Amino acid sequence: MKLSKQARRDARELFRTCMVRDALDESRARQAVASVVQKRPRGYIAILSHFERLIRLEVARRTATIESATALPPQAQAEIQANLARHYGAGLALQFMENPALIGGVRIQVGGDVYNGSVQGRLALLQQNA
Amino acid sequence: MSTLLQEIEAQISGLKTGVTRQNVGTVREIGDGVAKIEGLSDAMLNEMLDFGDGIVGLALNLEETEVGAIILGEYTGIKEGQEVRTTGKLLQVPVGKSLLGRVVNALGLPLDGKGPIDTQTFYPVEKIAPGIIKRKSVTQPVQTGIMAVDAMIPIGRGQRELIIGDRSTGKTTIGIDTIISQARLNRAAETAKDASYRPLYCIYVAIGQKQSNVARVMAVLEEAGAMPYTIIVDASASDSATTQYLAPFAGCAMGEWFMDNGMDALIIYDDLSKHAVAYRQVSLVLKRPSGREAYPGDVFYLHSRLLERSARVSEKYGNGSLTGLPIIETQAGDVSAYIPTNVISITDGQIYLETDLFYQGIRPAISVGLSVSRVGSAAQIKAMKQVAGRVKLELAQYRELAAFAQFGSDLDPKTQAQLERGKRIVEVFKQPQYNPMPVEVQAAVLWTVQNGLMDDVPVEKIKDFQAKLTEYLTSRKAAIMDKIRREGAFSDALTAELKAAVTEFKQTYR
Repeated sequence: MKLSKQARRDARELFRTCMVRDALDESRARQAVASVVQKRPRGYIAILSHFERLIRLEVARRTATIESATALPPQAQAEIQANLARHYGAGLALQFMENPALIGGVRIQVGGDVYNGSVQGRLALLQQNA
Repeated sequence: MSTLLQEIEAQISGLKTGVTRQNVGTVREIGDGVAKIEGLSDAMLNEMLDFGDGIVGLALNLEETEVGAIILGEYTGIKEGQEVRTTGKLLQVPVGKSLLGRVVNALGLPLDGKGPIDTQTFYPVEKIAPGIIKRKSVTQPVQTGIMAVDAMIPIGRGQRELIIGDRSTGKTTIGIDTIISQARLNRAAETAKDASYRPLYCIYVAIGQKQSNVARVMAVLEEAGAMPYTIIVDASASDSATTQYLAPFAGCAMGEWFMDNGMDALIIYDDLSKHAVAYRQVSLVLKRPSGREAYPGDVFYLHSRLLERSARVSEKYGNGSLTGLPIIETQAGDVSAYIPTNVISITDGQIYLETDLFYQGIRPAISVGLSVSRVGSAAQIKAMKQVAGRVKLELAQYRELAAFAQFGSDLDPKTQAQLERGKRIVEVFKQPQYNPMPVEVQAAVLWTVQNGLMDDVPVEKIKDFQAKLTEYLTSRKAAIMDKIRREGAFSDALTAELKAAVTEFKQTYR
C-alpha cells in the first residue's frame, strides 16, 4: 500500500505520544489505536498500518532473543540478562529459545545487533572465508 | 607435568571466543537493483552491505526506519526477508601499478581473463578532493600529440579539459590519441633511461558504452603498445545502472593512487552524459525527488566532486597529478543543455568538436572559436608558445575573412595573403587518427608555416609537403629535432639552422 506523507507523519506523531521516557507505553498504544478506530480520521487504515510497523520495530529494538542449542541454566540466564542490561539499559524483554540447529554456543539478537557465538555461526564464517 | 597442564589451561582460558557484534537487517522490498532494508541501525552512508553469496550492496539512503541500498551486480537472487549485514567498510577498489594493462569492472575485478590482480592496497571510491593547501598550479604539459590541441588548446598535468561534441565527431579518438601519445613518450623515456621524464599513466573509464566499442578501443591500444601504461575500467551498456554510476569514481580512486604516490596519471571519462543518465535512473528508483529533465538535484555535485579530485599537488605532498578528460555528448550541437553547461562550468576549458567541420574533412574537427584552455598555456613549452601564439588569432581572422570573401573576388593583396595563409594552417592541423605527433615535429612544422615557407606550396599539396618535411627532418636532421626537444625554445641559432634545413628540403621537393 502506498503511504501518503500525511499518514506517515500522523502515525509518527501518534507513536511519539505513546513513548514515555524512551520506552513504549503499551496501554497508551492500545488507547491510541482504539481512539483512531473510533474516530476514523482521513486515511486511518494507512495511519494504523504505519503505526503498527513503528511499534513492531520498537518492540524488536527492545527485545533480546537468546538462542541456545540446549536450555540454559538459570545462572547463565541471569548472567546474560545482567550483561545485556549493562549494554542496552534496563527494560529489555528477554526471550530464551532452544535451537538445536546451532549445535552449540549461544546466539543473541537485540534489534539489529547480533552476537553469534554458536558453532553454526563459526562454521558459516569458516565457509565464507574458505 | 601438572605445571604444563596448568599452563595449557591458562592459555585456553585466555583465548577469545571470537564472538563479534554484527548489525543485521532484513530485505523488505527489492526491485530494479534497489533494495529497501529494515533494521541495519548502524549502517553508514556509502557502506558496503553483505547480502551473502558474494553479493554486495551500497547504502545510499539512510531513512528513519529503513536503508535504501543499490546492489552491485546480479540482484535477481535476492529475496524478500533475506538477511543483510553491515561490513563496516566503505566501498573500495584495488589500486596500484599491478592494475596497469588490465581491464576491470567498477569494483576493480578483472574482466580480461588474465587472472587475479595482485595488490594489497585499496582506496575508497568516494574521497574528498585535495584542498587548497595541497594544491599547486599547473605547469607541466600533457603532450596529446594532436597538433591542434597542443598548439591552441594546451593541456597541463592536473587540468580538467572537457571534450564535447555531437555523436561521432571524434571525441573518443582524441582521448585514445592522447593515451597512445603518452605510451610512446613513456616508452621513449624508458629506453633512453631518462630519469627526468615523469611517465604519465592513463585510465580509460567506459560508462554505458557498447561492448564492441570498448573492445575496439582495447584492440587499438594493444596494437599501439599502450596497454602496459593503461587501465580500462569498463561499465558498459549491459551492466546495471548502479555499476555505471560507480565506474568513474572507481577509476578516479585508481588515478588518485598514482597522484598520492608522486606519479602522474590521466583519466578519461567516456562519457559523463551517460553517467548522468545512469545516476538519474538510480535516484529515481531510490525515490529521490527529481528536478530539471528529471535529473536529481545533486547531479551538479555528482560531477563537481568527481572532477575536483583531478589536481596537481605540491612537492611537499608528493608532486603528483591527476589530469581529467571528461567527455560529454551533445544533442544537435546544443551546448546549452543541462549536463553540458554543468560540466563546462566545472572544468578548466573545453575542446569543442563540430559535425560540420568533421564532414568538411577537417579532422580532428576542433572548433577553434569555441574551444578554450583556461590554465594550460602555463604548461606549454616555450618553443610551442613562440610558434603557436599567433595561430589562434590568425585562424579566427581567416574564418571571418573567408566568410566575407565569398561575396567578392577582387581582394587586396594583404587580405589575399591572409586567406592563403589561413588555408594552409587549416591543412596543417588536419591529422589522421591514432597518429600522435611528437612536440618537436609539431613546433618545426608550425614554424615553417608561420614563417611563410609553405606559402608557395599549393594548398592541396600541403599534407604531402608536411609528411615529407617531417620525414626529412626526423631522419636527416635529427640533430635539429633533438635540439628543439632539449632546449624547448627557438633561439636565433636554432631558427637559422631550421630555416636552412627547410630551404634545403624545398629545393628537393616536387
